[in-house]
Amino acid sequence: MNVWPLRFRKSGTEYLFSDDAGGFFRADQAFLERYVADGLLLSDYDFLRHGGHTFAEVGDLAHTAFAYRWSQRQAVRPELAYLILVPTLRCNLSCGYCQVSRAAEHAKGYDWTEETTEAVLRYLDQLGTSDIKIEFQGGEPLLRIDLLERVRSFCRERFASSKFVVCTNLQEMSPREWAFLEAGDTFVSTSLDGDMATHSRQRTHSAQATSKFLSNLDEAIERLGPHKVSALPTIDIDNPPDFEALINAYRSRGMRSLYLRPVNHQGFARRGRSVDADIERWNALHHAFVEHLIDLNYRIGAGLEEYYFSQCLRRALRSGADEHVDLRNPNFFASDYLVVDHDGKFYPTDEARMLSRIGRIDLSIGDVFSGLQTEKTDTLNAASLNNYDPDCVHCTFQPFCGSDLIDDISRYGRSDRAKTKTWFCRRHTSIFDHVFELMYRDDPATKHSLAQWSGVVSWGRHMAPELA
Amino acid sequence: MIPLRITAATPAVAPFVARLNAEGRAFELERTSGRTPFDLDLEIVGEGRSVYRSSSAELELRGIDAGEVDGDVVFIDPSRGIAHRLVRARSAHNTFLITERCDQLCVMCSQPPKRGHVDMFPYFEAAALLAPANMVLGISGGEPTLFKDQLLPFLDRVLTHRRDLSFHILTNAQHFEPTDLPSLARLPHDRVTWGVPLYSSDLVIHDSIVGKDGAFQKLTGGLAILAKSGATLELRTVLMSRNAADLPDLARFVTSQVPFSSSWAIMQLENIGFGRLNWNELFFDHSVQFEPVANAIDLARSRGLNVWLYNFPRCTVPEGYRHLAPATISDWKRRYPAACEECSVRDGCSGLFEWHTDDRGFQRFGTL
Repeated sequence: MNVWPLRFRKSGTEYLFSDDAGGFFRADQAFLERYVADGLLLSDYDFLRHGGHTFAEVGDLAHTAFAYRWSQRQAVRPELAYLILVPTLRCNLSCGYCQVSRAAEHAKGYDWTEETTEAVLRYLDQLGTSDIKIEFQGGEPLLRIDLLERVRSFCRERFASSKFVVCTNLQEMSPREWAFLEAGDTFVSTSLDGDMATHSRQRTHSAQATSKFLSNLDEAIERLGPHKVSALPTIDIDNPPDFEALINAYRSRGMRSLYLRPVNHQGFARRGRSVDADIERWNALHHAFVEHLIDLNYRIGAGLEEYYFSQCLRRALRSGADEHVDLRNPNFFASDYLVVDHDGKFYPTDEARMLSRIGRIDLSIGDVFSGLQTEKTDTLNAASLNNYDPDCVHCTFQPFCGSDLIDDISRYGRSDRAKTKTWFCRRHTSIFDHVFELMYRDDPATKHSLAQWSGVVSWGRHMAPELA
Repeated sequence: MIPLRITAATPAVAPFVARLNAEGRAFELERTSGRTPFDLDLEIVGEGRSVYRSSSAELELRGIDAGEVDGDVVFIDPSRGIAHRLVRARSAHNTFLITERCDQLCVMCSQPPKRGHVDMFPYFEAAALLAPANMVLGISGGEPTLFKDQLLPFLDRVLTHRRDLSFHILTNAQHFEPTDLPSLARLPHDRVTWGVPLYSSDLVIHDSIVGKDGAFQKLTGGLAILAKSGATLELRTVLMSRNAADLPDLARFVTSQVPFSSSWAIMQLENIGFGRLNWNELFFDHSVQFEPVANAIDLARSRGLNVWLYNFPRCTVPEGYRHLAPATISDWKRRYPAACEECSVRDGCSGLFEWHTDDRGFQRFGTL
C-alpha cells in the first residue's frame, strides 16, 4: 500500500498531518516516529486508507479520488466577468489609512474623461460573458453618479444579467443617489469602523459627520433592505476598537458577519513604520476576537462570525471555497476580475493600483484603450501559486492557503522573500493554527460556533479525524 | 395507487408500442406535423372503454379514464391483453425495467430478481423517443448493466435524438470495465445520472447486505471507471440495522474515496419484497435514534457533499435536518395516513410507501 506524502506540524501536544489534496488528521508523536521510520502498523494503514491517504495501485478508486480531490483544491480560472471600476479618485472624506487611493474632493484630473468613459464602455462591450458584475470603487464613486448611471444603463442593455456594487462612504446622499441605490440589481458596500469615536477618528474626523453617516447607513438598511447593504470595519492595530462596541455597531443593525480588515499596508508605509511590526499584535487581536465571538455565540446565541476566519475554516474542510479573491490558489491575475483606474489603466488588484500610485512599482497591465498586456500578467501569474514554492511545499496548510504576490512586493520590494518571513504567511499560519486547534477542541461553546461557521447542524468530535 | 397496467384488446398479434392521443393532442400533432406511426387517436369513449385508432392499428382500453392516459406511451402485449404504461405523460416517475435478472441478492431488495429475461430494448427506445418534452426517465432492474452492450448504445442514440431528455440509471456498478470508458465518456454528463448503492465502508458488511462475495471490491473498481468517464454519480445507502452504526464511517469513506459523487442519498427501507420479509431484522427506526444519521450528514456536508434523506417522512426527522428530506417516494406508490391531512408540510413530504402497514412504522410520527 502506498501512502501519499504527509506534512506535519505541531498542534498542541499532538501533530497535525495533511496531504496535497487537503486531507488532514491529528496523531501523536509515536505515529510520527513510525511514519518517518517507515514502521507503520496495520492499524495505521487502516486509518490512513479510510481517510483517503493511501492507494494500492495507480488508477484504483483511492488513487482516482485523491487525484480528483487534488484537482478540486485548485481554483479554476473562470472567464472575466467582474470589473472594479474607479470612475473618480476624488473623495469627500480623508480617512487616515487611505491617503494613497484618493484625491481631494475638488481636485482636477482624477475622473474618467469622456474619451476614457467611452473606451470603458467599448471594453465592456467586447467581453465574452453574458453575466457581468460591476463594483464601483473610488475615491467616492457617488461623486460621479452620472458615470455610474451611464455604465449601469449600458450593462443592463448589453448583458443578459448584471449586478452592481457601489463601494460608498454613504456620506452625502441626495435623492439622485438614493434612487440609484434603490434599483434591485444594485448593492451597497460601506465601511463601519466600530463605535462613534473610532469611526470619527479613522474616517470622518467629526462626530457630526459620523452621525450623518450612521443615519444614512440606517436609512440604507431601511430603504434598500438588509440583504443589499454590507459593511466592514478597517482595524488600526495601534488603536483597535473595543470589541463590544464594534460588535454592537454591527449587531444592532442586523449584521452578523464581520470581516476584520487590517489597515492596508500602504497606509502604514507612509508613516515610515516597519513593515512587519504589527503582525504579532494583529494575530493576537484576531485570535482574541474569534474567541470572543465563540463565547458570545454560546452565551446569547448571537449567531456572529468573523468572515475571514469562517472562510479559512471552510477552506480547511472542503474544496471549492474559492470565492474570496484574496485567498485562493492559484490566484491568477486579471483572469476573472480586473481593476480599471480613473485614468483607464488596468490593474490586477486594488492593492496593485495603490502600490503603483505611490511609485513603488508599475503594476499596471494595460489600459482600456489598448487592452491587456498579457506578457506582464503571465510574469505575475508564474508567481501566483503556492504549490511549488520551496517554503509552501513543506507547509501543512499549503492546500488550504493562497498567496499574495502584491502584498509581498508592497512590503519587501520583491516577490522571492522566504515565505515564512512574510506578513501574509505569518497571518495565515496563525489563522490556520487557530482553525485546527478549534476543530479538535472538546468544548461545547466552540462546537456551537464551528457548526454555524461550517454550515452544519451540529459539530461533533467525529468531524475532525484523529488517530486514536 | 396509480395503475401501471391496463386491460387491453387489439386485433394485432405482435406486441407494439403506441402513444395515446385524446382529441386535443391529436389535433396538435396534425398542426405541428408531429404524427408518428406510433400515434393512436381516441375515437370512441363509453361504458368503461376507450377505443384508439390509427390507419394501421386499433386498441381498446378498459377501466381507465381517457384523460388520465392522454399522451401516455404504452406497450401492448396482445396475448395477455395488457397495456403497460411505459411513459405516463403526467408523471415525473417513469422507469424502464431493463431486466429482472441481477447478480446481487440484496437483503432488502424491493423487487427480488428473477431468472428469465425478455429483451424490451426496441420498445423502450421507441417509448423514450415518444416521451413528452424535458422528461427524466428512470432505468432500473434487476441490474441494467448486465445488458450494458445494449444499454450504452441505447442511451447514446436516445440522448442524441432527444436533446431535451435525461436518464437516471440505477446500477450496482459491478460490470463496468476499462473498455467501457469511451462509451461512458461520450454520454452527456448533465443528462445522465448513475445511482449506485453503497451500504458500508466495511467490505464484509457491504458484501453480506448485497449477498455477493467480492461485490465491494468490484464496486470500487466500477466507481473509479465512472469517475474517470466524468459521469454524474448519486450514491445511495439504504439505512438498516446492519449498517446504521457504520454510517458516520461511511460518510468519511464517501468524502475521501468517492468525492466526485454529486450527491449522497440515505434511504429508508421499503416494506416490500425482501424488505417486507426481513423487516423485523432490518428496519432501523431513525425517528427514535437519529444520531448516526445526523453524524454522517454533518460530516459529509462539512466536506461539501450534498446529502439527502430519501423516503424519510418529515415529521420523523429532527428539525435542523428536515430540509434535507424532500418528497421522494414515487407517486404511484406513495400514501399519506389520514392524519397527514392536517400537516402543514405535507406537500413537501415523502409520506409513506403504499405498502407500509401501520404496525411497521416509526415510533415518532405525527403532524407538524
